[in-house]
Amino acid sequence: MAGKKQAIISLKNVSKVFQNRKVINDVSLDIYKGETFVIMGCSGSGKSTLLRLMTGAIKPDKGEVLVNGEDIAKISNRKLDEARKTFGMLFQYSALLDSLTVEENVSLPLKEHSRLADHIIKIIVRMKLSLVGLKGYESYYPSQISGGMKKRVGLARAIALDPVIVFYDEPTSGLDPVVGGVTDKLIKDLSEKLLITSVVVTHDMQSVFKISDRIAMIHEGALIETGTLSEIKKSKNPYLKQFISGNHEGPIDFFKEEIDIKEILNI
Amino acid sequence: MVSSIGRMIINSIKEAVGLTALLLDIVYWIVIAPFCGKLIHVRTVFYQMMFVGVRSALIVFFVTFFTGMVLAMQSAYQLEQMGATIYVASLVAVSLCRELGPVLTALVIAGRVGSSIAAELGTMKVSEQIEALEIMAINPVRFLAAPRFIALFFMQPCLTVLGNIAGMFGGFIVGVYSLNIKPELYIQTGFKFLALKDIYTGVAKSFVFALIIALVGCYEGLNTKGGAEGVGRATTQSVVLSFILIILADCVLTAIFYFSGV
Repeated sequence: MAGKKQAIISLKNVSKVFQNRKVINDVSLDIYKGETFVIMGCSGSGKSTLLRLMTGAIKPDKGEVLVNGEDIAKISNRKLDEARKTFGMLFQYSALLDSLTVEENVSLPLKEHSRLADHIIKIIVRMKLSLVGLKGYESYYPSQISGGMKKRVGLARAIALDPVIVFYDEPTSGLDPVVGGVTDKLIKDLSEKLLITSVVVTHDMQSVFKISDRIAMIHEGALIETGTLSEIKKSKNPYLKQFISGNHEGPIDFFKEEIDIKEILNI
Repeated sequence: MVSSIGRMIINSIKEAVGLTALLLDIVYWIVIAPFCGKLIHVRTVFYQMMFVGVRSALIVFFVTFFTGMVLAMQSAYQLEQMGATIYVASLVAVSLCRELGPVLTALVIAGRVGSSIAAELGTMKVSEQIEALEIMAINPVRFLAAPRFIALFFMQPCLTVLGNIAGMFGGFIVGVYSLNIKPELYIQTGFKFLALKDIYTGVAKSFVFALIIALVGCYEGLNTKGGAEGVGRATTQSVVLSFILIILADCVLTAIFYFSGV
C-alpha cells in the first residue's frame, strides 16, 4: 500500500557530521503527500537537524534529500527559493520579526512573493489570523503578546502562502497543556482542511498521539523505527517503549554509566 | 605563540574573504537584482536613513563642535608664540575638512550605528529570525543588509559635512570670544586657505568609511553564533574591527591623495 502513495519528501541514506560528531547517521525515510508525519526522539537526538535538512537550511554530508523529486541540497539558489515558496515553517520560538507587527509578519511572505493588492493581502491576513483564533491582534508587536499567541502568529505566517508542506519544530513546547492541545488541533485541522503535508518534530507524546498519521523515532541520529500510530504503540522495541512511557531506566541511558551518589559526595 | 599567531592570520583571512563576499552580495542586490524585479524596500531605506542620519546628527554635532574648540585652543597655544594667532582659523578649517571631520564622524557612527546593526542582526540570527526569512525565500542580505548599506552610504557624507561645519563653528567661538580675533577676519582667513579639494577629499573618505561601517556591522551581525554572549561579542567585534579599518583606510587614502597631489 505504501508503494502506491506518492512520496513528497524522501531521504536516502542521509548523514550529517558536526564537529566530528555524527548527528544524523544513515537515515532513509519517505513522507507521503497529505499525511502528518511525526519525528520524535529525545533532546539532542538529531530530530531538529533532520528537519533543517529537509528545508535546505543545512546540507547533508552524504545521501540525498528529495523534495518533490528534486535534491534540495544540489539545486540552484533560485530553484531552492522556488521550492521554499511551497514550504511553511513554524519555529520552536516562533521566530517572528520583532520589528514588525503581527499583521506585517503574516503579510510579509505575501508581499514578497505575490502581486496581490494591499487590500487583498489585508483580507488574507485577517483570514489566516482568524484561522488561528487571533483576529483583532493585527496591530500588536510580538513583544506584546504571549508565547502561545506568538506560536499561533507563526503558524498563520507559515500558512500565509497556502503551502504544500508545513514543518513544525516543537510546536507545543513551552505551552500550557490547553494551548498545546489547541495547537495540536490546529495542526490536525490545517492538514485535513487545507490538504497540507505536515512534518512535526516533537517529544511531546500527548501531541504525537493526537496528530500523527505516521511516526518515526530517532535516537542518536539513527532511525529506530517507522510506522503508523497503532504500529508504534504495539512495538516491542525497548527504545520506543521507554520513550513512550518516559521511564528513566532502559536502553536510552543519558548517564552511560552507573552513578553512585554516595561516592560522589564521599560518604 | 606561533600557533596563536597562525590562528590569528587564518581568522583575519577568513574575515577578509567573508567581508568581500558580503560586499559583492550587497552590490548584486543593489545594482543588478532590481533589474530582475527584486527591489529593495524603499520604506526600510528611508527608515534606516532616519536612524543613521537624522538621529545621529546631534551627537556628531557635539563631538565635532568640541573638537573644533579644542583644536583652536591647542593651536593658539603654539601660534601665540610666533604672533600668528590669526592662522588658527585656517588651521582649524583645513584640518577638520581634510582629516578630523570625516574620521571623527566615522568613529561616532561606527560606535552608534555599526554596533546597533551588529546587535540587531545578531539577535535576529540567534533567535532564528534570519533562518525564518530564508525559509520564506526572502534573502536576508537583500531584506536587511542592503537597505542599511544604502542608508549609511548616503547619510555618512551628509553627517561629515555637518561635522565640518560644526567643528569650524567651534573654532570660530574660541577664536572670536577667547582669542579676540574679529569675526569677519576669522571667517576670511578660514576660507582663504581652505581649497575645494580639502572638502571633497574629506567627503570622498566618508563614502569609504560608510562602506566599512555598514559592511562590518552587517557581517558581524549575520555571522553571530551562540546566544546573548554571541550577540555581545559580535557587537564589540563590529566596533573594534570598523575602528581599525577606518583608521587603516584613512591612512591609505591620505597617502593616495598626498602622493597624487590632490
